[in-house]
Amino acid sequence: MNKVSRRSFIKTTAAAAAFTAATPLLSKGWYGLARADTPGYFEREFSVTDSLCSKVLAKALSKGGDFADLFFEHTISNWIILEDGKVNRAYSDVSLGIGIRTVKGDQVGYGFTQELSEKPMLNAAATAATIANSEPKEISGKFVSLETENYYPLKTLLTSIPLESKLPLVQSVNDKAFALSPLVVKVNASFHDQQKRILVVTSEGIKAEDLQPRNYLNASVTAEKNGRRERAGWNLGGRKDFSFYSKSVVDEVAKEAVERAVVLFDAVQPPAGEIPVVLGPGVTGVLLHEAIGHGMEADFNRKKVSTYCTMIGKKVAEPVVTILDDGTVPNLPGSINFDDEATPGQKTVLVDKGILSSYMHDKISARYYKVKPTGNGRRESYQHYVQPRMRNTYMLAGPSSSEDVIKEAGNGIYVRDVSNGQVKIGEGDFAFYVSQGLMIENGKLTAPIKDINIMGNGPKMLKNITMVANDFEMAKGGGGACGKGGQAVPVGFGQPTCLVKSLTVGGLKG
Amino acid sequence: MNKELYDLAAWSIKTAKSSGADESRVHINNQRLVEISYRNRKPENIKEASTRGLSIEVYVNGRYSAQSTSDLRKNAVKEFISKAVSTTKLLAEDPYRTLPDPKYYKGRSEKDLGLVDPDYKNFNPESRHKMVKDIEEACLERGGDKVISVTAEEQDSHVEEILMASNGFEGYTEATVYVAVASMTAKGEGDRRPSDYSYFVCTDKKEMPKPELIGTEAAERTLDLLGAKKIKTEELPIILENRQVPRLFGGFLAAMYGSSIQQKRSFLSDKKGEKIGSKYLTLLDDPFIKGGLGSQLYDRDGFAAKKRDMIKAGVLKEFYVDWYYSRKLDWEPTTGSPSNLVIPPGKRSVKEIMEDLRRGILITGFIGGNSNSTTGDTSIGIIGQLFENGRPVQAVSEMNIAGNHLKFWHGLVEAANDPWIYSSYRTPSLVFKDVVVSGL
Repeated sequence: MNKVSRRSFIKTTAAAAAFTAATPLLSKGWYGLARADTPGYFEREFSVTDSLCSKVLAKALSKGGDFADLFFEHTISNWIILEDGKVNRAYSDVSLGIGIRTVKGDQVGYGFTQELSEKPMLNAAATAATIANSEPKEISGKFVSLETENYYPLKTLLTSIPLESKLPLVQSVNDKAFALSPLVVKVNASFHDQQKRILVVTSEGIKAEDLQPRNYLNASVTAEKNGRRERAGWNLGGRKDFSFYSKSVVDEVAKEAVERAVVLFDAVQPPAGEIPVVLGPGVTGVLLHEAIGHGMEADFNRKKVSTYCTMIGKKVAEPVVTILDDGTVPNLPGSINFDDEATPGQKTVLVDKGILSSYMHDKISARYYKVKPTGNGRRESYQHYVQPRMRNTYMLAGPSSSEDVIKEAGNGIYVRDVSNGQVKIGEGDFAFYVSQGLMIENGKLTAPIKDINIMGNGPKMLKNITMVANDFEMAKGGGGACGKGGQAVPVGFGQPTCLVKSLTVGGLKG
Repeated sequence: MNKELYDLAAWSIKTAKSSGADESRVHINNQRLVEISYRNRKPENIKEASTRGLSIEVYVNGRYSAQSTSDLRKNAVKEFISKAVSTTKLLAEDPYRTLPDPKYYKGRSEKDLGLVDPDYKNFNPESRHKMVKDIEEACLERGGDKVISVTAEEQDSHVEEILMASNGFEGYTEATVYVAVASMTAKGEGDRRPSDYSYFVCTDKKEMPKPELIGTEAAERTLDLLGAKKIKTEELPIILENRQVPRLFGGFLAAMYGSSIQQKRSFLSDKKGEKIGSKYLTLLDDPFIKGGLGSQLYDRDGFAAKKRDMIKAGVLKEFYVDWYYSRKLDWEPTTGSPSNLVIPPGKRSVKEIMEDLRRGILITGFIGGNSNSTTGDTSIGIIGQLFENGRPVQAVSEMNIAGNHLKFWHGLVEAANDPWIYSSYRTPSLVFKDVVVSGL
């Protein structure tokens, strides 16, 4: 990934703006910001100057504290939705505000306001300041702009793409899905794009500004056969440029959604109980996210409430297992140029050849553990506290072929797609819902399965990963979000095919 | 009525009209919130803020869109509404999208729903900190030497909302909400650190349990999970704790919406008037419960609220059909979503029922899982207690129940006498026979 300064980013987007301007048939009617992206967005649009930031930070530290930061946000989100064959519904949301945080040790004072003017900001800062009760802390008042890599360069802002250019995507998904199978009776298709502009200003003198795009094309298909109905969906996206949404993407979204719905008519229930489970490549990485990732978020460990809090440096898996959390993979939903505390985006090795090597840190936990922050300090919006959060979490490829992994399982299940994962941090117990899968009988994939829950224990499951294949994939969807403490942030996940020698399958038959 | 909000709503509707909208509906909310949490006997987080939001639905030339914003600078709102109207013109026509027939606005009750605590203004910072400290202290005391971590928290807010439509609807709601939470993590066997919590929500602080009870309950729930393990897969009676009912019933409810039925993703679409559960399954939608978390005088369409029998003695009586999907289905509308859901309580306590059943599982928590509204298939992880001879003998975890809603609710054999009032789902604990609980 090339290092892209804010200045070179301007050139790219200016060229894109010129292209848009030269296309007179494209209306600007869709709600968006049809202007070049330049640094100083919040200063230009909302008169947020360095001196104003200094004043607000000084207020936030007026009763002492270790540090304070300001998180400005202006997010525009658009959805267009097709139902019953027509794109006849659209939603937009504009979110504007500032969150002000004062930190003293592990204590946080927080105020936020939707009015970016001095008085309400000072009031919010005064609220944040109440967490401390000592002498005011001086700040320099000078800010250095953070230069980072750009992991999601855009040719043009998605919110500047006119609605007329987005409508055919959604309509085409619908038409393609109906053309693929006579069993299809309903299609719901949608396109979502979001443009999140943030500015983080810290009492340590850092100023970091970013524009985080997020978008995806989604289809949900209901099929009917002999009076029975089944439904499945698929989406593709991430932090993509609009040029990503080609005909092949439309075709894949429709095809995957239709195939995944139709196959369910042949689905059977697997036996309930403890059996070998093979996790297919890609989206099943949500298992890593739940079973392992959350327990390695440093806030749970500094509070000693995670089952992993005593395991740093210890063997937690076979040497074939290496797991990372990575904010630097281009265009993935969880990628970030810097986190919401202005720590640059980076790659963190969580499990290195079976050894637990690092937690995921925000500034508070990094100070506690006396390590550098890992760039995992994230929040849903200006209304929320920072927490250590995952970005894109994945397991590296191993040496085996996927065929050998399935053969080794003997009799069990193969998981193709999952949803609704959840973990209990202290026990390490987790569950995830298998929406698509297959039986494994005598080492071969046989009948489809669906709608079952898989239960396990994170540390135990890590130890039970006995084979890892060489077919690593990242999940390709853009709609993945992780919930923690009432906050949702976009995340990515991935993995190769792997064998877990035993998990609890919640079927109907004993 | 908050005049400033009212004026902003009226101005927005006028602005939409002058921007070219045929009709519009505006929703504005105004909220003041405070959150305080304690850990290690000191404040962990303190948060306070005011928020406002405006959302507008516009109807232009038979087309529809909805937009929302927190940027309430007047010029920004004007530009926002103008763009909303021009966006809408680009969409396909939808003949079913109109504002409701105003006849459904009529007959609105004027009952006082008791949603505003008159003492809210006296809930000052000192009272808040004391409440949270007392919760933490009670949890620490009951948890004793098993405690690894305790967090206590309170949230409170004052909310005002205006709903106004260009065809004559006007509604104003004001409410106070209090939330109290305690969570504890305990020293378990080996590396296991069981955790659980207590969580209470109410509109009137007088309804909130004493801080000591909140903290003690969190500790006891956590201590009950010590030594949890998986047991062998078998068919057993289960008791679903009152506060856990919404998670399981939510999968059933998802199939009761007009949108699910019209979009062919409801396993209940042809079941109206049919028996879909045992005679013990009765569900009322009651919008008029005093202080109820789902209480309302009108719904999101502006329809005057009514008490409804949704399921009666196992027979499905009604669906949740809003104005839009009623037109698509060519059905009479009811209301778009639940207010307070009530399953009438039975006569016996959970303890009495356990003693009678002798052996089974009391489910006190769920993990993961999902429900398929198209087929009714559901599968969900459980946490709870195996009871034998009527008494809890073993905490269980890493276990699962699965089935289909159309069959599952026929297995309901009793409702206990303990309705949970700290939710808009006012449900008692429920007893089911012959459920496959998978484990070893």
